[in-house]
Amino acid sequence: MDKRIQRIYVPMTESGFYILFCLQRPQHGYGIGQMVKTMTGGALTISAGTMYGTLSKMEADGLIAFVREEEKRKLYQITPLGEEILDLELQRIERLYQNSRGEIYHG
Amino acid sequence: MAETKTIFRFFTIADFEEEEKWLREQHRAGWKLTNAAVFLYTFERCAPEDVIYRLDYKNGEETEEYFQLFRDYGWEYFDQNAGWLYFRKPAAEAETESDGEIFSDGLSRVEMVQHVVKTRMLPLLVLFLCCVLPNMIRSIEGAIPFANFFSILFGILFVLYCYLITYCGVKLARLKKKYTEQ
Repeated sequence: MDKRIQRIYVPMTESGFYILFCLQRPQHGYGIGQMVKTMTGGALTISAGTMYGTLSKMEADGLIAFVREEEKRKLYQITPLGEEILDLELQRIERLYQNSRGEIYHG
Repeated sequence: MAETKTIFRFFTIADFEEEEKWLREQHRAGWKLTNAAVFLYTFERCAPEDVIYRLDYKNGEETEEYFQLFRDYGWEYFDQNAGWLYFRKPAAEAETESDGEIFSDGLSRVEMVQHVVKTRMLPLLVLFLCCVLPNMIRSIEGAIPFANFFSILFGILFVLYCYLITYCGVKLARLKKKYTEQ
């Protein structure tokens, strides 16, 4: 994998993580926003400008790809590269979580 | 036809937060913005209401997808002016504080500021260094400084540019610092 992409996205912002996580299924920007609101019990909201900016960047970097259009809304889905990044990020979070509980992380 | 008023007001590229606040106050006083053109703001009489105004800087890069997303989030797009897009949403429709924001993290705000610096500040600086400054120096070096109309004009431009560049530069840097710490 491209080291540059890895450096940019691991670790990633909270918004970035949730967006990528939600795109394991095809979804549009507003739909992702609603999902995140529900998943986090309203603890995290992603505003329109932040959503648009993150989606554009992730698409340009090849982490997500456009799949189809529904009522003028573009639907995106994670790509194999995006999945690789998401896995790395999940491992990192897992390590943080285990360490925070006083456990040793074995990878 | 509804009553209208036009106000002359100057906001620099670094004053978008002040501009948002001012437009919200106007709407609260029963004046809704219909058109913004560089220094001229045209308002229309309306029922006083608390409406949140937000400015995004896209500099022509906005797409149909972008507008659809803002619509989905409940933002009404109503005008654009020199690369800035104007959005508004009644405060009553914003359930949480973040519903009233177009950016939800410091990083995306920093990126907007960087976009302004790159496409507005830098051209201003280039124009200053390549045109205003050399002409200013030339008019000072003449036998009688500021003898003709053009040298006086460049003198005025020089002062104006120095002020604008310093003001915007310092303010944008401060905004960037504030957003980075968010």
